[in-house]
Amino acid sequence: MTSRRFLGLGYLAPYIIGLLVFTLVPFLASLYLSFTDYNLMSAPTWTGLENYIDLFTNDRTFRRSLTVTLIYVFTTVPLKLAFALFIAYILNYRLRGINFFRTAFYVPSILGGSIAIAVLWRYIFATNGLVNMGLVGLGFEPVNWFGDPTNALFTITLLRCWQFGSAMVIFLAALQSIDKSLYEAASIDGATKFTSFVFITIPLLTPVIFFNLIMQMVQAFQEFNGPYIITQGGPLKSTYLLPLYIYDEAFKRFDMGYASAIAWVLFVIIMVLTLIAFWSSKKWVFYAGDKRS
Amino acid sequence: MKTLMTTAALALCASGAMAEDLRMSWWGGDSRHAATQAALEICSEKHGHTVSPEFTGFDGYLEKLTTQMAGGTEADLVQVNWPWLPLFSRNGDGFLDLNTVADTVDLSQWTPEQLAAVTLNGQLNGLPLSTSGRVFFFNMTTLAEAGIDVPTTWDEFYAAAETLRSVNGDDYTLFNAVKETAQLLVTLSVVQKTGKDLVDPETNRVAWTVEELAEGIEFYGHLVEIKAIRSMQEDAAAGNVNLFEKPEWAQGMIAGSYEWDSTYNKYAGPLNEGQVLQAVNPVRFDDAVVDGIYAKPSMFFAISANSEHPQAAAEILNCLLTEAEGIDALGDTRGLPASAVAAARLTESGAIDPNVVAANAIVMSATGPTISPFNEHPEVRGTFIDTLEEYAYGLISAEDAAEIIIEGANDVLGAFDS
Repeated sequence: MTSRRFLGLGYLAPYIIGLLVFTLVPFLASLYLSFTDYNLMSAPTWTGLENYIDLFTNDRTFRRSLTVTLIYVFTTVPLKLAFALFIAYILNYRLRGINFFRTAFYVPSILGGSIAIAVLWRYIFATNGLVNMGLVGLGFEPVNWFGDPTNALFTITLLRCWQFGSAMVIFLAALQSIDKSLYEAASIDGATKFTSFVFITIPLLTPVIFFNLIMQMVQAFQEFNGPYIITQGGPLKSTYLLPLYIYDEAFKRFDMGYASAIAWVLFVIIMVLTLIAFWSSKKWVFYAGDKRS
Repeated sequence: MKTLMTTAALALCASGAMAEDLRMSWWGGDSRHAATQAALEICSEKHGHTVSPEFTGFDGYLEKLTTQMAGGTEADLVQVNWPWLPLFSRNGDGFLDLNTVADTVDLSQWTPEQLAAVTLNGQLNGLPLSTSGRVFFFNMTTLAEAGIDVPTTWDEFYAAAETLRSVNGDDYTLFNAVKETAQLLVTLSVVQKTGKDLVDPETNRVAWTVEELAEGIEFYGHLVEIKAIRSMQEDAAAGNVNLFEKPEWAQGMIAGSYEWDSTYNKYAGPLNEGQVLQAVNPVRFDDAVVDGIYAKPSMFFAISANSEHPQAAAEILNCLLTEAEGIDALGDTRGLPASAVAAARLTESGAIDPNVVAANAIVMSATGPTISPFNEHPEVRGTFIDTLEEYAYGLISAEDAAEIIIEGANDVLGAFDS
């Protein structure tokens, strides 16, 4: 029995060692470093809460970056979830060639995180890019997508929304698991497609909506590639999300202590919002066998 | 193979050194990678060591080197960008003091000024590879078609910008200036007017007054206003693409820029067939004190302070920079060499592109103050560019921008007070 226990531990060892060495140790080290002045070249010196005090009292860039990050997350996540659900709903119909469309709509998610797509995005939305060519063709004025601070964040948001495939696949699987007899019964009772969607589909999808909400929110808070490649955080820091600020502080300004403090503030924000989502889920998420009426 | 091993063994006996395993890291493009690997192979064979190459593009190299330096795991031989010197060697002890291997490395091939630029607290941290500077490149074909002579003064430059647009249309701009180039044009104008670098070497504080810098920022604003350069909004709208990747550059619709002399081919290469790019003398104000172009040691080779084989690393370093085999193999992949013997050998053999030689000659003959590496401190540069952007978007005045830049730079400089 003991040898079997060790065998099990042996199988788990790669994961446990990886977790300890590459996640837990850096996680705790960054917590320690956030209370220090550390420039990588010399030993860290303990500064207590100085980094955090600076962040919240003196740092105009942090406030700007935090605001931009919150706007980005609160627009991207609902838009992406709504779009993913919409497409999943359509792809749930038995149409000719439906498997092709399901694959096609998932492709952006495979490509989405890549640098190549971010570069492509830069060309599509450039002054003489595809989007402006289309707008001009339709008789509209071309839009300054990247040069105008209000539009730049929107283009980054669109890139993330375009990568709706993973959320869509989960929605699609959930839609297919809904018992068809519920819709038949509702139809006999005179329910329209819309009322069926609102009163049957949505409530039965709430566990999946909740799951997607948490996953997408965490991912959105960690967005880096898009703004780094497309706008480099500009113009006027309008796309300067917190992960970019962390990167710049750590690897361009060599202030690893300060970067760690920002990372921990970001971590706490994600944790608090996740806890709020979990707390609120009791009121709007319905699981199978739920006795609530 | 047998001959090769015998040669290596003989060389080993001749030098009296042990065969050591070394590592060398650098950044660059494909041609530099190929040339450096070939040079390492030749020098390794000659001195009986083995050198493992570690190379990447420029992006990410600083982050990689920083992480390695923090952990003491950097390669024995490292290529370092000159502005990074104060970051890695704050007290002068970040790299091996090459004076300790002066019997192996022929330091006489560098001038005292060149060695001074890489010396901190009396410790020689590396060997400069080339002196690089920003020069004015103009598309001579575009200028000729519009009947414009190469401008030598800023007044001629303003007039040329207007002529170009009136002859060829509003899609044409005389010059390029975005991000770092915009910052360096502001710097150029202030240096020309004052003769002072951003940093006063005596006090280690900003040498310019708010008024002097504000005038430089307004100079940039004027260039945008008369459409001699594109605004930051327009350039951002185009997707922040590198100048040499822009179709407008290839077609000659942007007729010039202020770029590193060693990058001549990077900018000349993409031009449409028949278009000629040429480095020209710096454009000056009528009352300019100096030419004021931005010139500095571009990069240097250093030996790690943690190297277990500094003597072997010194042998390879000397081979790469002063011995015929290494010089020929490296060629001009890091610009016109700072090493006198290398520069003479490559120039004589015609191995260096004459356009690069011409551009470098302009840099070397230009007058101006010695540039402080703090000009390129990430925080100084970041504050300068970000604040200039705020000015360009009309959020702050030139005076406010100048005050923010000077205050930010002085904060950084103050942290280096001993």
